[in-house]
Amino acid sequence: MIELRDVTKIYNRSRANEFVALRNVSFGVPERAVTVLKGPSGSGKTTLLTLMGAMARPTSGRVLLSGREITSLPERFLAGIRRSTFGFVFQQLNLIRGLSALENVLIPAYPTDASYASIRGRGRELLARMNVSHREHERVERLSGGEAQRVAIARALINDPQAVIADEPTAHLDTKLSREFMEIVAAMKQDGRTLIIASHDPIVYESPVVDAVLPLRDGMIAEEHR
Amino acid sequence: MILHPGMLALLAASLIIAAMALGGAGLGYQILRRWDPTSGSELQLILERRTTLVSTLLAWAFGLEFLSLFLFAGVADSLHSQFVGAMCAAGVLNASATGYPLLILKMANVLLAGSWLIVNHADTRATDYPLIRAKYVTLLVAAPLLIAEAVLLVLFAGALKPHVITSCCGSLFSSQTETMVGEMAPFPFRPMAIVFLVSLGAVLAAGWHTWKTAKGGILLALLSFAAFIVVLASILSWVGPYVYELPTHHCPFCLLQREYHFIGYPLYGLLFAATVSGMGAGILVPAKRKPSLKMIVPGLQRSCAAASVVLYGLLFLLIAALVATSNLKLL
Amino acid sequence: MALLERQRRLLDFTLSSLLRRKGKNGALVAVYALTIFLLASVLFFGESLRREASIILADAPSLVVQRMMAGRHELIPDSYADQVRSIRGVRSVKPRLWGYYYDPLSGANYTIVTSEERKNGTIAIGSGVASTRKLAVDDVLPLRASKGDTMLFTVAEVLSEESALASADLMIVTPADFREFFAMPAGFATDLIVDSGNPRECSTIAEKIAIRLPDTRPIVREEILRTYDAIFGLRSGMVLAVLACAVIAFLIFAWDKATGLSAEERAEIGILKAVGWDTSDVLLMKFWEGTVISVTAFLAGTALAYAHVFLAGASLFEPALKGWSVIYPAFRPTPVFDPAQIVTIFFLTVVPYIAVTVVPVWRAATIDPDAVMRT
Ligand SMILES: Nc1ncnc2c1ncn2[C@@H]1O[C@H](COP(=O)(O)OP(=O)(O)OP(=O)(O)O)[C@@H](O)[C@H]1O
Ligand SMILES: [Mg+2]
Repeated sequence: MIELRDVTKIYNRSRANEFVALRNVSFGVPERAVTVLKGPSGSGKTTLLTLMGAMARPTSGRVLLSGREITSLPERFLAGIRRSTFGFVFQQLNLIRGLSALENVLIPAYPTDASYASIRGRGRELLARMNVSHREHERVERLSGGEAQRVAIARALINDPQAVIADEPTAHLDTKLSREFMEIVAAMKQDGRTLIIASHDPIVYESPVVDAVLPLRDGMIAEEHR
Repeated sequence: MILHPGMLALLAASLIIAAMALGGAGLGYQILRRWDPTSGSELQLILERRTTLVSTLLAWAFGLEFLSLFLFAGVADSLHSQFVGAMCAAGVLNASATGYPLLILKMANVLLAGSWLIVNHADTRATDYPLIRAKYVTLLVAAPLLIAEAVLLVLFAGALKPHVITSCCGSLFSSQTETMVGEMAPFPFRPMAIVFLVSLGAVLAAGWHTWKTAKGGILLALLSFAAFIVVLASILSWVGPYVYELPTHHCPFCLLQREYHFIGYPLYGLLFAATVSGMGAGILVPAKRKPSLKMIVPGLQRSCAAASVVLYGLLFLLIAALVATSNLKLL
Repeated sequence: MALLERQRRLLDFTLSSLLRRKGKNGALVAVYALTIFLLASVLFFGESLRREASIILADAPSLVVQRMMAGRHELIPDSYADQVRSIRGVRSVKPRLWGYYYDPLSGANYTIVTSEERKNGTIAIGSGVASTRKLAVDDVLPLRASKGDTMLFTVAEVLSEESALASADLMIVTPADFREFFAMPAGFATDLIVDSGNPRECSTIAEKIAIRLPDTRPIVREEILRTYDAIFGLRSGMVLAVLACAVIAFLIFAWDKATGLSAEERAEIGILKAVGWDTSDVLLMKFWEGTVISVTAFLAGTALAYAHVFLAGASLFEPALKGWSVIYPAFRPTPVFDPAQIVTIFFLTVVPYIAVTVVPVWRAATIDPDAVMRT
């Protein structure tokens, strides 16, 4: 569903600290499948996710989403795409402190036209599916790491996105929680969603639910993926 | 110089508007010079973000401009007690040579500002900034007008001296005087009322047509502008006398006073809003040529037309109510 | 409807995020409200003084003629009245008696005027006199006459307070008592009241009087009204100029608050952008934030100012703006509510507040959406 053609991303171009984070990457993300970006620290995984998730524009090259070019769209359209097509699970989770679990889940739905009652109902349903219903009204800073991550996943799903993007989702989890996370990934795939995960955790990229692994090294695709 | 609180408020608003317009025009000029939609550079991203700043600045500036037109009328009205011969804003504006030019410039700026906001809105709906050049070139023209307005206001405030003897609506808007407004004012009641009905009927019909079909935008714009002038002339000719219940009193400003329930504010507010919406439908016509706007502009034109029909309709009802409740019978 | 729903949700979110930062926003609202309070108090007070004055002058005669000697106000002989009466356009001329009386007991200056309709030996007094001398109807008020003897007056009436300034220090006696009390010679009056029938001719008549009786000074009421208006406008204008400094200080404070977002606030906006909020959504949220803050401060500031001026008698700066005689400690401005003043206050505070926060708010709203991926 997402296609990158000859994409290059250069940070701080024509300045002293210029840095080429991605170099001529061409790659297609299969629909309704789990794709893992694998590579050492600094290899450009997060950068690639931001380009695929319509958060940033490439310096050159093109990004296509379901056949439509989104490379040079104005930011306000990119925001719309982000909101309706993607759900994000961040490495640091990035829940808003001081708000309850449920309020955090609803945030991506605020700028949509859905009615308040319907998004609230959906938020509670998602929290129930993630087994954190009982902490619905708890402030997020009082949740455990595993609970917080499941709240973050519920937030990613609130707008019923086609694709879910996760950056190092297991970095702060122990083995048991990491395996639980991969079960949730399997369930999301079952629901027909496309998953894109950046990780160098074997529990992730060696999991049987993974359909494709893209090895990155120094901003380039290292070898043919399986 | 009169240090009246309202005058200070007006000066503050005017300076803020001028500063915002100047800032917006400056940013617009930079954007025009370095704009390159094909580049993936960070500079282009920065420029695109600045367009949102320009839009925000001007939305505020132009909203303020609209409000300050009414503040201006109100302040001019409340200053009347300080001038020999002034009974309302008409006399105060007449107390300095810059009074009436300032009022006319302000009215023109409000219409211009409203049109610009409509074009800006159309531009933000498309994915490729199709109107960016047209938009910012117009802005470079409009900014000096807003700055000129601030300058005129400062001159006006500076030139106002208590004890200046001025003449007011009684002589300015009566048939006995030789002034230009004086000659324009007392259009005979009956013909003017007929012109009013024809003009409003035409603009409502054109508005309805554009609302339903998204066609005839230019006609609607022209008729809206015509209706603007006709309604102003009608206020001078017979709406005013009906409200004052005095066939000889033609003032367009006394309507703003408490005695007449501040009826002038909704009256003029509706008139300006209706005119801007009607003109919007026509101003958008050239934008239809842009491929990315072809599908968007008709919808916007229809919204503009719908707004103009509703607003002119309300204006008509308001005037009809004023005539119906008046004890005066002219026609 | 969907649009309204969206606005409501953004407003909800804004409210909860404002409440999460009570300290910072509370300080802002407090300073904001204080600024509005000062400004509104001055405007309300100035306007109510102006109205008081115009109530006084509304009852004043349209043309008064005084005689001047060596640049000072002198008694005017009755013969002058006849001369004025012969001017064309003059309908009637009435000699008037009035003066001031310094009361050593209360240390105040009273204004004594006369009326033919009273009975000799009685007096009508203003509410200020009644309260400083603790008098009620039928009490006896002894006053020291010019010749040193004491005259006794029976209080026949305490004047009602339609306008406190106008009547607080007033005493009304008969012309005969007045002449006896001040030992004023017969055939003279304090000044003349001229009635012209047509108020528009007042200035023409005044000119003729000045020519025919060169040692007199004709005073036209309209003239006084305009001077009052100009003086009040100027006074409150000057106070406003001083207040402008307060407003500017507040604006710098507000600008600083809007610019210096905490790391936490920046991170929050970054999260919103990352999960799909557009710059315009953040701007809208910030717009609601500004609206909530402004409305709260505005309501609090103006309500406090209203209470201060009209209920507490503008106790904070009464001495600065007024400066009348000591009789007025009980001056209660008549409450007036003028929409124009509310609009003026809005334009002098909220509008500049918006203006200084536009750019910082835009800066905050254009945080890179991918920034949170790297924290
Ligand atoms: N805004 C930026 N400015 C300059 N350099 C940047 C910026 N963002 C990322 N980089 C650099 O680009 C390179 C790739 O970064 P990226 O975050 O994509 O790596 P990563 O594979 O996700 O690493 P990690 O596993 O540590 O998260 C890094 O060397 C990083 O320092
Ligand atoms: Mg990373």
